[in-house]
Amino acid sequence: MNFKEFQNQSRLYVIGALEPEELEQFEKARKKFGKKAEDYIGECYGLHEAFALSLRPAKASAAIKERLMAMVRTRKEA
Amino acid sequence: MGRSKLISSTRRKPRKRARLTKSRPQATSVAPQLEPGAPSDLQLMKAIQAEDADALSQLYDRYNGILKALILRVIHNEAEADDLLQEIFMEIWNQAKNFSSQKGKPLGWMVTLARRRAIDGLRKKQAYARAEERLQNETEQQPDAWAHNATEEEIVLSDTRHLIRNVITGLPPAQQQAIDLAFFRGMSQREIAAKTNTPLGTVKTRLELGLKKIYDGLKELRGEL
Repeated sequence: MNFKEFQNQSRLYVIGALEPEELEQFEKARKKFGKKAEDYIGECYGLHEAFALSLRPAKASAAIKERLMAMVRTRKEA
Repeated sequence: MGRSKLISSTRRKPRKRARLTKSRPQATSVAPQLEPGAPSDLQLMKAIQAEDADALSQLYDRYNGILKALILRVIHNEAEADDLLQEIFMEIWNQAKNFSSQKGKPLGWMVTLARRRAIDGLRKKQAYARAEERLQNETEQQPDAWAHNATEEEIVLSDTRHLIRNVITGLPPAQQQAIDLAFFRGMSQREIAAKTNTPLGTVKTRLELGLKKIYDGLKELRGEL
């Protein structure tokens, strides 16, 4: 697998769309390309952020934040 | 970080049209810009790592809407989405020490975590069939959810969201559908092929082409935001 193919596979990898046999080849290439591969995969995770930002924000129930902060306070005190 | 430094704000900067220089770091992040003086996401994460509950409160105010929209897109159930949102922010609090800025941006980390939890939740709660039915109904009414949202005139979109949607909705519908099923429903290529009655090789090509266009489009966007 050359680096261009690895880049294609990386974009599939970060959204979990590689099939098992592709994943095996991908991991071998990932080791072969080392830091360059890790840096590129890190960049591809920006796709997650973009997909989320493309959605219209939804309104959460006000009680959710109260419950969350109460749980955090309890956890801190424990 | 002291509480006084964590100025709560979710308002965005006015629209900037000037194209930024090409010397910016080559990352695909397109996170919305914050008002001057507002703590960055990274500052909030560092404060959360130091167990500052106020920082979590601010991060929640800033991103609960985006994360809930993502969860809802996966599980299609309002009450379950609220519960899961709470669990996810609790996990952000508990797992903050595992966040490393060298591996990515806080929002990317949170979205990855939320997506994984939402897809896990969908499967664990055996709500898959129900969501499938709801999604099917929604799909029949609005064949392209991304495109539909983008044309809702009553919604005032932020610059960031509007520009990202332009990139996504610029893809051919078949590519949008393949990416939607993979990202928001956690489907493998084989599952997408089966669901859409499409050859596996075609699904792979659609995903590869679509993701590359989005990735390249996001890089272009960095100069627009």
